[in-house]
Amino acid sequence: MNRAWRNLGFGIIVAVIIIAMTPYIWMFLTSIKTRVDALSSIPKWAFSPTLEHYPKVFLDKGYLPLLGNSIIVAVSSTLLSLLVGVPAAYVFARDRFSGKEDLFFFFLTTRMAPAISVVVPMFIIFSKLGLVDTYLSVILAHSSFNISLVVWMMRGFFEEIPPEIDEAAQMDGNTKAGTFFRILLPLAAPGIAATAVLCFILSWNELLYAMILTAFESRTLTVGIPGLVQPHGTLWGQVASVAVVATLPIIIFTFLVQKHLVRGMTFGAIKG
Amino acid sequence: MAGFAKIKWQRILLDKGAGALFLTPALILLLVLLVGPFSYMVGLSFTDMSFSQPGHDGNFVGFANYRKLMQDDPIFWESFLTTIKFVFAAVSLEFLFGLCLALLLFHLVGGQRLIVTLILMPMMLAPVAIGLMWKLLLNGEFGMLTYYLRQIDLMAPQTALLSSYDLVLWTMVGIDIWEWTPFVTLVILAGLMSLPKEPFEAAIMDGAKPLRVFWDITLTLLRPIIALVMLLRGIDAFKEFDKVFILTGGGPGTATELLSIYTWRINFRNWDFGYGSVVAFMVYLVVLIMCSVFYKAITWKQGLEGIKT
Amino acid sequence: MKGFTVKKNQNWLKISMIFCALAILLLTVFGQAQAWDLKAAAKPYKGETIRTIGEALPPLEALDKVKEKFTKLTGIKVVVEQYAHEEAVDKVMLDLNSHTGRYDFIIQPHRELGRFVENKHVVPLSRFMDDPKLRDPNFHPEKELYVNLWNEISWYGDKPYGFPFTAITMFLWYRADLVNDPTERAGFKAKFGYDLKAPQNWKEYKDMAIWFTRPEKGFYGTAIQGKRHVALWYEWLNFLYSFNGDILDVDKGYKYGPIIINSPEAIESLDYYKSLVQYSPSDTLNYDWDGAMAAMQQNKIFECIMWNDATYAVEDPKQSTVAGKMGFDMVPQGKGGKVGQVEGWTYLIPTDSKNKEAAYLFIQWALRYNNQLEQHLNGGASPRPDVYAHPEVKKLTYSKAAMDTNAASLPKATFPESPQMTDIIVLALSDALAGKKSSKEALDWAAQEIHKLLGDKAPLKFPVD
Repeated sequence: MNRAWRNLGFGIIVAVIIIAMTPYIWMFLTSIKTRVDALSSIPKWAFSPTLEHYPKVFLDKGYLPLLGNSIIVAVSSTLLSLLVGVPAAYVFARDRFSGKEDLFFFFLTTRMAPAISVVVPMFIIFSKLGLVDTYLSVILAHSSFNISLVVWMMRGFFEEIPPEIDEAAQMDGNTKAGTFFRILLPLAAPGIAATAVLCFILSWNELLYAMILTAFESRTLTVGIPGLVQPHGTLWGQVASVAVVATLPIIIFTFLVQKHLVRGMTFGAIKG
Repeated sequence: MAGFAKIKWQRILLDKGAGALFLTPALILLLVLLVGPFSYMVGLSFTDMSFSQPGHDGNFVGFANYRKLMQDDPIFWESFLTTIKFVFAAVSLEFLFGLCLALLLFHLVGGQRLIVTLILMPMMLAPVAIGLMWKLLLNGEFGMLTYYLRQIDLMAPQTALLSSYDLVLWTMVGIDIWEWTPFVTLVILAGLMSLPKEPFEAAIMDGAKPLRVFWDITLTLLRPIIALVMLLRGIDAFKEFDKVFILTGGGPGTATELLSIYTWRINFRNWDFGYGSVVAFMVYLVVLIMCSVFYKAITWKQGLEGIKT
Repeated sequence: MKGFTVKKNQNWLKISMIFCALAILLLTVFGQAQAWDLKAAAKPYKGETIRTIGEALPPLEALDKVKEKFTKLTGIKVVVEQYAHEEAVDKVMLDLNSHTGRYDFIIQPHRELGRFVENKHVVPLSRFMDDPKLRDPNFHPEKELYVNLWNEISWYGDKPYGFPFTAITMFLWYRADLVNDPTERAGFKAKFGYDLKAPQNWKEYKDMAIWFTRPEKGFYGTAIQGKRHVALWYEWLNFLYSFNGDILDVDKGYKYGPIIINSPEAIESLDYYKSLVQYSPSDTLNYDWDGAMAAMQQNKIFECIMWNDATYAVEDPKQSTVAGKMGFDMVPQGKGGKVGQVEGWTYLIPTDSKNKEAAYLFIQWALRYNNQLEQHLNGGASPRPDVYAHPEVKKLTYSKAAMDTNAASLPKATFPESPQMTDIIVLALSDALAGKKSSKEALDWAAQEIHKLLGDKAPLKFPVD
């Protein structure tokens, strides 16, 4: 690829990064500005920073436990969805049985169910079981839409792996389950990584289920954000602080999981 | 003999029974968590259930709610049109940008962690927070973006994107593109990174031109991934709620009244679950039909491919 | 002689002793009625925890701190769950309808009252107020509270169901410093022929909006809360009432009546309201109460109609560049004369509450003067006149305007369909502001939709052709 194209390509990537990052940078700046500075007509890039918003929202308002709740819910629902979904995806990728595509399509359709209508019957069921305001109800609710996502995406990734590998493993004496656990899972690592990132993010940021199915004690951080849009003035500094803190775990998680994306690439090279 | 299962019945379970074993937990969870409440919702659509009207405790009303939707609800149909516009514009542009960006990243940067993480940032924040952030950025008086757009004359001094009846829906599309293109990019990139090397090596040895390689090989191999990610985006775009709601509340007028916002109004403002269930069910049917068509088209094509090779 | 005196004395002694015994007996019997004591009344509930829910704003935050005193007195623990406006309403609806009984008492917007009462989700106060074990005999709400506020916010169908937690209203905010500025005064008088002052009627309001709209300088006359949001409805009501219009032709919130929202007066008020858009900042159609207030705080507008419980925010130098420059007055008057609206959150006790009596004791205690004063000084809006008479409260710049408006307020609909009716009106107003419909078309549409909603209980007084 010649120089000019490469430079153009890099230029585009840089431009994209700027577009992606600018709202975040502005948000971070807003979290350390006073309200007067944050709402100035001429955007202020230089100002005297203040750290008042962070303790106000996390300590005075008691939002710190919400961060913990978010972590618990997101991690658990991601694990549950992967645990249940990845093996199912494998079956769809490899097995033949009558009605397979219809069953797969059924999995797809579960995602189409509009949460707004499903959440109230769900609330009633959970409240009868005494599960409202526990982590379990939200974890289950989040898994309900993430499972189809996992099955969906992982099937595609499994199908990219040639069936010959399965056959070779089985000739070596592995059971189907053994093949899956020992050979295919490591090969599908990039797919699992991408899927895990997505599940985590979707659960972390989910608003409706988390709001309806929790009450005070198990609210997630996302549910706390609309609470800062008050009739007496949106607390922009606090909103920005919560947003900054809410994004950090995801950035860390994505960064860590990326390693497996790279490893997967190397695997691909070896097997090729 | 290699393997963990030494006892015969264990071997059968983990071998022949693996399929059922792997599928069942997912099926059970989905049946209980989704099919149950969903069926209940469909049942509600034939009743007059309302939390706010006294005496509306779920009495059977037959198809009255459905008739109301078909004949007496122009706002629903308007909202339907608005949502279709939103979904098509957003999803097609997300595909275009996502694909280009994924290719760019794949060839220039590989899986370089930092750069990929930075590009992924838009989808990391909760949609409700994204809505609030863009509200601040696009505010007519205090918005940073508004200020600069006016400076470079891309925007008239008296326009504000969120108050403009004509521009507001496209502004929502723009924000959605900002939020979700990274997702499309991520999935396609992961797909690109998992592609086997042989077909490419073979094609290069055959002297094929890069464009041909891309069209015939890359796109074809990526098709299942692309199809599924676009289907996913399509469905999710249809359900878009959080950020549009907090940005405009469905306004000005009904300019951004997406179906999800309308459904929310009926269910959580009017607490009219009888009618609200019909609306939700209708939305579901529409999405189902659109996806079935799309899905059948893809699998039919894949079937053809199977016959060719 | 001596013997006789002694005997007489002995008799007197006996009589006095009997008298004393009788007196003590009587005192004990009647004295008990006067010795009601919170601690004693709360004894059966000691150690219980009661839970409530409300909107996360300074008054509730103040209550959350004040409640510790109650716990010290009675041993009853109080948990206050604070949520955003919408969430606080949603959670209560879900709780009441699923009969979970999570909340022992609730604090809700008074427009929801009809829904609760008609669906039998809350209990009338009488069963607590008439109970001598619970009722503090020194508590006379009919004398201690603004009665019209209590009626408007916590009564339904001529029965009280609670007490007001906050009673807020809207009035005029304007820049007193600009009104007093000599250059502005001279220029204005030259153009319009009268002196700058707090606008007293709508002509003056608009004249000043025209005068102060200077887009090149980034300053505008006014801002309207034009976003498709309930704030739009609240704001327009001020105009509607002031132009002598109303939504329904009734005198009590829970009554149904003829629909007059598309009366000529109402259309006139909407036309006027629309005309203010050109004197407002560019983003005014995306402003809810927050946007308009930010515009005022950031020195972008001259006047607007805003909530009394938000005034502390515009007077706070840390949040506002115009602190100390503000003036407040009643909403400008039109054909309707001096009018205002009142909005309140009310204490209520759900039917499914598991600790109704303890909850009542807390509510009664929270209505005491000291607790109300503390809440009010922290951004609250007390329904007690004696709180407003306190020197600290009087010092607050907006107190007079708030009191005047409270006294002149008109009732709002509280029957079960009321929130839905509000939604219809918000959509109609938003369509009109966006230019999609004319004022007449929008209000006619609203009238027809409301008629469909309420049925024959609300006929159209101004039929649409």
